[in-house]
Parts: sequence; C-alpha cells; structure tokens
Amino acid sequence: MEMKIEDYLAQGGQLTSPGNVPPRYRGELMRLMASFVDSELAGAAGFADTINDAPGIRNRIAAAKITQEKLDHAGRVLEVMGEFGADTARYDTRHDWAARMARDADLDAARHGDDMRLSVFHYPIAGYVDAVVLNVLMGLATVVQLHEMGRVSYAPLADAFREIAPREAAHVDLGLKGLRQIVGDDAGRQKAAQSVAYWLPKVEASFGQAGSARFEKQARLGLRHTENETLREDWAGRVADAMSPLGLG
Amino acid sequence: MARFLPLRVTELRRDTRDAVVVTLQPRPEDAGAFDFTQGQYLTFRREFDGEELRRSYSICAGRDDGVLRVGIKRVDGGAFSTWANEELQAGMELEAMAPMGRFHTDLDGAVAKHYLGVAAGSGITPVLSIIKTTLAREPKSRFTLIYANRSVNSIMFREELEDLKNLYLGRFSVIHILKSEGQEIDLFTGRIDAEKMAALFENWIDPESLDAAFICGPEGLMLTVADSLREAGLEDGQIKFELFASSQPGRAKKKAVSRDSAQAGEATEAVVTLDGATRSFRMPKQGETLLDAALAQDMDAPFACKAGVCSTCRAKVLEGEAEMAVNHALEDYEVAQGYVLTCQCYPLTDRIVVSYDE
Repeated sequence: MEMKIEDYLAQGGQLTSPGNVPPRYRGELMRLMASFVDSELAGAAGFADTINDAPGIRNRIAAAKITQEKLDHAGRVLEVMGEFGADTARYDTRHDWAARMARDADLDAARHGDDMRLSVFHYPIAGYVDAVVLNVLMGLATVVQLHEMGRVSYAPLADAFREIAPREAAHVDLGLKGLRQIVGDDAGRQKAAQSVAYWLPKVEASFGQAGSARFEKQARLGLRHTENETLREDWAGRVADAMSPLGLG
Repeated sequence: MARFLPLRVTELRRDTRDAVVVTLQPRPEDAGAFDFTQGQYLTFRREFDGEELRRSYSICAGRDDGVLRVGIKRVDGGAFSTWANEELQAGMELEAMAPMGRFHTDLDGAVAKHYLGVAAGSGITPVLSIIKTTLAREPKSRFTLIYANRSVNSIMFREELEDLKNLYLGRFSVIHILKSEGQEIDLFTGRIDAEKMAALFENWIDPESLDAAFICGPEGLMLTVADSLREAGLEDGQIKFELFASSQPGRAKKKAVSRDSAQAGEATEAVVTLDGATRSFRMPKQGETLLDAALAQDMDAPFACKAGVCSTCRAKVLEGEAEMAVNHALEDYEVAQGYVLTCQCYPLTDRIVVSYDE
C-alpha cells in the first residue's frame, strides 16, 4: 500500500501537515503563500489612503472594510506559513508595504525588490476613482485566482483560500457599487476610463506568461491546475461583463 | 517560534498488540496551551542516539472528555513509536508542542447534520476525537464511520467505539472493513476501493444525506475515498483530510561530518542540488549569499522574504560549513541537522555541498 508522495500528488492527493510535505514541495508552497501574503499586505497598504479619499461615510466604510479584510486574509495565510517555521511576528515588519515606484515605471510581470508582491502592487494609486477601478479589476483577478487556489493540494491552505474567496468577491461588489456612482456623470466616467486604460494591462500581466515552466512544476505538485492563459481569459470575460454596463467596456 | 512544554504520562494503556493509548497531563500553567480542537495532533520531541527526533501523533480524546490523550501505533523501524510502545511508562515525562492541525469543521449545537468518517488503521485516532466531540456537542447530528483494518485484533479503540454506539444509540454507526477476515457480509471484507465505496453508497449510506466527510489514512485510501465522495456529489470544501504518510522516515539522517571549519581561501566551490540536478560553480565567501549565487547561475532556487524570516529558501548543507547572518525561522534541531536559510548563508569552507531536495 506504500505510495511515493510525488505519485500521490500527481493523482490529485492532498497533503495536510508540515510533517508530510517533501522539501521541494515545501519550497514551492511557501513561495506561493508568500506571494499571496505580500500582495495582500501591499494591496491593503496602498488602499488604506482611500479611506480618507473616499467621498461620504458609506464609501469610507467600504474602503476601511476592504483594507481591514485584506490584512486579515494576509494574516490567515501567514498563519499557515507559521506552521512551517516562518516567524509570523517579524514577517510584516520587514518591508514598507506602502512603498511604491513611479506611476510611469515600466515593470514587467517579474517580481521586483525583496518581497513577493505581484508587480501590479508596485504602482501607486492616484486618488479615489483610480483606487476603485484598481479594486474592481484586481478584485476580479483575485476571484479567478482564488477559485484556482481553492484546489491547491495543501489542504489547510485550500481551506483558508476557500474561506477568503467569498469575502474577496464581496470587495468587487463594493467596488462596482462605487464605480456606478462615479460613472454617473461625464467627468467621472472620463476619469474612470483613464484609470481602466492605465490598470488593465498591469492587472492582465499579473496572470503570468503563457506556457510558463513554473506552471508545469507547480502542476506536478498539485499546486496549480489551470493554465495561466485560461485564467486570464476567464478574467477578461468577467471584466467585460462588469465594465460594459457601465460604459467602460 | 515553536515551544516545547512538559507533559506527564498519567496512564498508559495497551490498546492492541501494536498500539498504546497515552494519557498526558500538562502543568497547571500550561493547561490553556493544550486546550485542543477535535482532530488536532501533538508534536513530540525526544533524543535518540544524541539526535533529536520529532513525531506527531493525533489526539484521540474528545473535547469534553477532560483529558489529553494520544494513540501511538508502532511502525516498523520507527524509533519513536517503538520506544513509546516498549519503554514509555506512567510517571515519565514527554515534551510536546501545543496542539496543531485543522482537521475539523465548526460545530453548532442547533444543527442536525450527517457526518461520514473513513479511517484506516491508526487513522482512526483523530477521527475518534471528532466523533466524540461531534456527538456530544451536536445532539441532533449523526455520524457514520467506515473503518478499515487488517483483522479484528488490529482494530484500535474497538471497545470504545462499541461504547459510543450504546451511548449515542441511533446516532452513531460503524462499518468495519476487514482485509483478511471473512465477515457475514461480503461487502465488509477486503480493502476499500472505488467499487466498495460505490456499493456502500448504494446499499448502506445515502451520499446525499452527507454534510461533511473526514478521511484519515495512507495515500491510496485518501485518493480512492476522495474520488468516490466527489463522484457522489460532495464539494471539495465538504471533504476534510488528514494524511498519515506511509513513507515517513523513521530516523533523521546524521549530519555530514564537516571538515575543518573556516578555511583560508577567498572563494568557495559551491555544489548545489535542486530538483535532482546538481550544478557546481565558484562564489566568493563574502558579499554574496548562497541563494543569490545560485540564482545568478540561473538555478530556480526557492525564496520569498530574503530576510531570514519565512524559511522558503531552506536547504541542507551536506559537506563543508556555512554561517547564517540572520535566522528567525529554523530551529536549533534543524540547524544541528545541517539546514540553513540560503538567503542568509555565507560559506566558510573552500568547498560546500548543498541540497534543496533534502
């Protein structure tokens, strides 16, 4: 009845504790978790200014809720990293998560600097409308990615992602509500259209390259299931569905 | 960082020929730390031949039993489990970390749910904790257990399961599957495979009535049962796993004996293994970490924080010596076995052999 862990994973098996993961699986899994945690921490730090920028108490509460929950999501996944030995108390103090590069910086999709945030989180947000647009576009990407990550072969992480997914989806709904208010007049719509043009390619790049070698490696370990290209198409469809009714298609 | 606390063995009961049930008592000041959730496990540590070994064993007590208790089945060649079965006695002290693991679902006294447990061999241990806690805390819920064993004599917690059936009449049922002993019903003989699961769903358990399933055992069982449950209509979120890996090493390998430390040269010959492939290159002893040197060679070495905090870049030094500038993630016993955080690691010797695969 003995079976190699690699074969077990290739057949869709799940691992359940730090004690039964092989070393290279551990490395890839930690990397994947760090990328999520760093992106949530950087995302929350960038979005925090929106709490002050948002017009009206309701919109500010929405911005505060989104910021708070993204930090909470980072904390939940960091807790899983902690079970592998990561120092959870030190983890978030090692970077200035609010730091951003220039608005017109030309970053490719690769990681920059010493953290694992997606490159889209290196770009600064320019005011409330810009924040709402990024929240919707990136939120839809997160929904697609979390659907994929809910199938990850490390069961405690899959559980965490499944708990996080509906709350990230709710952030998109809050964003769409804000966006509907914004496109209510021509000036708002124009501003939003500019932000869509700015963020769309940057969020798109966060899906990674087609035919990536890393995908192959992660797929063998059950850490990924759907190709980058397919996820990107799923996202593009959702963006079109959300943006067309607002005249931003 | 993980902290080990002392636990006194207050009772040791032989359950089967190959398994003991150990009752443990924390110091009064540690009682809070050992307040567990059903389905969790304890990680113990003990030195064997001067080397620290850590092993995890599931808690078999329910949350309302008022005791902390684990089941330890002896595995062939397993240093810790053999010691626990042959030498451990009441009155002795063990060291363990606070309970860990997420093999559970939230309970709610108001709901009426139907749970399924599928366990093989010692995989029953956490499932027993879940069964006891669920039946006590959800008075309207019921639990069905499918429990696979070699023979009647190897069934762990056999009497305890019978007692639970009587205590929770009509709410708890057990289907024993025995590999090498014929039973009145053919379906209950042999091993759990896709066919048997399908037959069980057809004749004994209505899969549509199931709210959640808990599977605990070796790899093959997990795959088979999870597939069957998905086919029967359960969502991934309704299926909870705890893997009892069959290939757990019995004993940590000895650290490679290092040559004289701190040699004179400025550069090091680094030999790095990653994903089964080995590369050699020269790197300076100072100014560049082993991780950065490997990345500069286009090796796809794992890393995340580069600050000695997250442990993603962990690797093992097989030959030679290195020092770490910062280490917030590896514990002393890992360092003693030769593990390093490569993002913080500078070679001290003229040659260093490192593997990310161990």
